[in-house]
Amino acid sequence: MDVNISGAKIFYTFPLEFPVLGKISITETLVVSWIVMILITGLCIFLTRNLKVENISKRQALAEFIVEKANNFVLGNMSEKFRYMIPFVSALFATSVVSNLISLIGLRSPTADLSTEAAWAVVVFIMITKEKIKAGGVGGYLLGFTQPIPVMTPFNILSELATPISMACRHFGNILSGVVISALIYGALAVASSALLGLIPGAVGNVLSQIPILDVGVPAVLGVYFDWFSGCMQAFIFCMLTTMYIQNASEG
Amino acid sequence: MQVQSLVGIVPWTFIAQIANLFIQAYLIKRFLFKPINEILEKRKAMADAQIEDAKKDRTEAAAMKAEYEKDMAEARSKASDILTNAQKTAAAQSEEILQEAAAQAAAMKEKAANDIEQEKRKAVTQIRDEIGGIAMDIAGKVIEREINEEDHRKLIDEFIANVGEAS
Repeated sequence: MDVNISGAKIFYTFPLEFPVLGKISITETLVVSWIVMILITGLCIFLTRNLKVENISKRQALAEFIVEKANNFVLGNMSEKFRYMIPFVSALFATSVVSNLISLIGLRSPTADLSTEAAWAVVVFIMITKEKIKAGGVGGYLLGFTQPIPVMTPFNILSELATPISMACRHFGNILSGVVISALIYGALAVASSALLGLIPGAVGNVLSQIPILDVGVPAVLGVYFDWFSGCMQAFIFCMLTTMYIQNASEG
Repeated sequence: MQVQSLVGIVPWTFIAQIANLFIQAYLIKRFLFKPINEILEKRKAMADAQIEDAKKDRTEAAAMKAEYEKDMAEARSKASDILTNAQKTAAAQSEEILQEAAAQAAAMKEKAANDIEQEKRKAVTQIRDEIGGIAMDIAGKVIEREINEEDHRKLIDEFIANVGEAS
């Protein structure tokens, strides 16, 4: 029994070679990301059909509930001037949750690819830096690294860079660990069921031992933690950190 | 099929995911937040308008009530005025009528008294004349002789005057 855990599949690679960036390839990560985007956008369109002012449908109530929650979340962590950030944070959260949970239908999560989280973390890092420069000016921002004493400068730069790296790696690590553990559990349970059913003598045992019976049901229990809980939690943590870092940065 | 490494950053995927994130943000904004916020705003405007209407209605009702109460008070005071006036007029009229009646009665009484007096006097004079005649006849018959008419008359008058004094 081989357990093979690999990165995202590469479906197609354009033959064009770019300097530094390399070849453009359509990977599993990208395709599933687009599926996730279509799902989210489709859901948004579905929820906001036939909007009414009075006597609203359950669908509209859900949409209004989501919007209100998003508003409360962002405005609870950030000041009023970041109202324009609501769609961004919502997109971040929705993409993260749906990407994490899409593994439930057998697709590979785009968040199980470090490129995805790195992209998000870098965007957030740029936003944080922008707010810091806005609050203290370029000079103030650069001077901030020499606080409290100039000797600390390398460490300050390191801690600054640690922010996006830790954000990306935290999210990626949680999802990847889920993928790895799921694969291991599936493999282990297949081996276990084959060994267990192989105890049945004769042809019946030979046939039954080929069917990984223990793979039915048991991984679903673990999926509650590794897919549902971890998936929602990491999305929430990522958004929480995004809002808090940006708010702190804007306060100087 | 080729696979990429388990942990690693693929530059083009990285760039594409940044683009995807912003596209997703735009799509969510366009298809969820914009319509829902519009609806919420509309509802808020409607609620505000309703509250405003209710306030206006209430002030109008209060004004109407005040006016009504004022009218009622006015009507009440007018009614009481009218009643008082009527009572006064009635009292005055009854007084007048009574006085008139009393005056009339007094006048009638006086007239009656005058009449009675006159009648009495007339009767007395008549009686006096008749008594005088009778007395003269009686006296003539008694004496059987005609005394001087003039002395006779004087005598009778004297007598009658005495009678009148005595009565």
